[in-house]
Amino acid sequence: MDADRLREDFPILKAGKAIYFDSACTTLKPRQVLEAERAYYEQASGCAGRSAHALAKKTSEMFESSREKAAAFVNAAPEELVWVKNTTEALNLVIRSFDYSQRKKILTTRLEHHSLLLPIMEQQRRGIVKMELLKTNPDGSFDEQSIAATIDRSTALVAIHHTTNTTGMRAPLEKIIKIAHDNGAAVLIDGAQGVPHSGVDFRRLGADFLAFSGHKMLGPTGIGCLVGKSESLEKLDSFIVGGETVESVHIGKVQFMKAPKRFEGGIQNYAGAIGLAAACDYLSKIGMKNVEEHEKKLAKRMIEAVQSVPGAAIYGSPSSEKRSALVSFNLKGVKHHQVALMCDSLSKIALRSGVFCAQPAMESLGAPEGAVRASLYVYNTEKEISLFKETLEKIAKLGN
Amino acid sequence: MLCFIALGVFAFLSLFSAKYRPLAARAFSCVARKMTLRPCDTGLDEEIKAASIAGIMKFSPQAASFVNRRFAAFSFAFTLLFFASFLLAAQGIANFAIYGNCNGPEGGFCIYSGIQNPAFLKAPSTLQGISAGNESARLTVFEFGCYTCPYTRDAEDTVKFMLEKYGDKVHFVFKPFPLPTHPNSKWAAVAAACAWEAGKYWEYREAIFSNQSYYREGGDAAFKATAARLNITGFDGCFDAKKFLAQIETSISEGKECGIYGTPTFFVDGKAFVGKDAAAEAKAEVERLLGVA
Repeated sequence: MDADRLREDFPILKAGKAIYFDSACTTLKPRQVLEAERAYYEQASGCAGRSAHALAKKTSEMFESSREKAAAFVNAAPEELVWVKNTTEALNLVIRSFDYSQRKKILTTRLEHHSLLLPIMEQQRRGIVKMELLKTNPDGSFDEQSIAATIDRSTALVAIHHTTNTTGMRAPLEKIIKIAHDNGAAVLIDGAQGVPHSGVDFRRLGADFLAFSGHKMLGPTGIGCLVGKSESLEKLDSFIVGGETVESVHIGKVQFMKAPKRFEGGIQNYAGAIGLAAACDYLSKIGMKNVEEHEKKLAKRMIEAVQSVPGAAIYGSPSSEKRSALVSFNLKGVKHHQVALMCDSLSKIALRSGVFCAQPAMESLGAPEGAVRASLYVYNTEKEISLFKETLEKIAKLGN
Repeated sequence: MLCFIALGVFAFLSLFSAKYRPLAARAFSCVARKMTLRPCDTGLDEEIKAASIAGIMKFSPQAASFVNRRFAAFSFAFTLLFFASFLLAAQGIANFAIYGNCNGPEGGFCIYSGIQNPAFLKAPSTLQGISAGNESARLTVFEFGCYTCPYTRDAEDTVKFMLEKYGDKVHFVFKPFPLPTHPNSKWAAVAAACAWEAGKYWEYREAIFSNQSYYREGGDAAFKATAARLNITGFDGCFDAKKFLAQIETSISEGKECGIYGTPTFFVDGKAFVGKDAAAEAKAEVERLLGVA
């Protein structure tokens, strides 16, 4: 994989506007994605599945073909993929529509993004579920011994990350999914930070639901996917209902469609879906194995770079084998926001600082006030990491 | 602390460009929280700190480190300086509006004087006013003056000198331009005109300049008492009838058309001189033109 050549596809990088290390928040978009979105508006711009004219048919074709591509990207069937706005909506859909009539316990961890934690906490506030936490260690790893003891036959749903947005570390999903299924519990995976960075195979993973966003994997904002086993999707209650979610409507009697259409109320984000499919094509062309390899190299270099800076402390495991190219850290004596802002001012390096919409996670990692996060992707290079290291060294002197 | 400065700066810039308004709003929120002893939550203070330290670091990492460690103290000092300079600037503007000089009646260098450039003034086109010297002289000197203004008074000795020494070569025209900021200035001009009609103008003029505060505070009674002391007949009737008020108003209008913004203003062969040192500068110009410098 040649990152230098890939960079030519990204207008922002080509213009030399920034060293972009904030891909965990949202990634940059290649021109192929932008062109695909534009193609919808220029060539179709109709409504899918409703009108019968040529433009509508063209829209339907583009939209459904995008569903096929996005589903194939995670090795799922098209009918298993529900278009949503983003991962947050997908997680809300499952957590709020799941059937808790027999079991009320939801298991999750402190390490989750607010988008996963908050719907559960809201359901608990309403008395619908009982939230419990799987044990995690201060370095962001799991207390694997406790998993089997915590998941039991009262567990309805295990909702958990694939990869955290705070340390880039992965959850032991195989083990968790097996134990959950052995106990009759469903598993919802927050794949926002996993799907873009590793070849996630939904079928092999065996989870019931997988949520991810388009904009974190080179796609447009405003589009995401909920992938679910057909039988699991059918068990979910309705979420957003409206046009195109029903077979027929009579006052007092509604016949809903089958999933995934049942969950796609109203006119959909066609351009977004088409753009996301283009992003899937783009990543598939690179090959997710190559993406993973590239990120491993970057993670190793990034960890070495940050560790070499006096006063720097990395959160999570220092092993690059256990994480994606995402490193959260703090510098002694310099506040995280100041570090991020100064990197931007001094070297146009775009970083994230704060608690990353994961406050309990940052508290459990020992950074309740927050940290700086550098998250890299296919277009980043080791040369950029070298400049980042030089910049950090200058800033670190302020606190030493 | 710097959000106090940011509020002032961005609020001012917001008057001219909407892009600064969100920043002003953030600064206001920050100030409001600081005033209620809560930490700023808009992040603006951190952005200012980071931008400042990064800016210094580009020139000197050592200086950046020094400032970073003492940033709170520097912020406090700069905020105090900001408020002090703001108050001084406001005082200067008020003085400038009232006295035509940012230092007040005492005068001195005033940076705002640059806003009002004598080069943009237009010489009067009529010879109406109090005339002295040689009316057929090639060189005409105009003075727009205010009888109760300290600067016009201070110019008087130089005016007298010019009339005595170059009166045969210069035509001098005084045009009353009473400033509203000086009490009774317009009535002093009316009174002086009545004295002129009675042939006692220069005596009356000297009387006013010799004790301006008496006329500023004394008003009609002071003007009449002086006329009585100088044995000016018919003064009270002239003054009470405001006989020359219209003429004074015409002179004011002419001064405004010329762009007069302070007294005294002299025009020497069309070139303008304004303010405290105007008389001396006008004299020097007269001497240059007469070839006696």
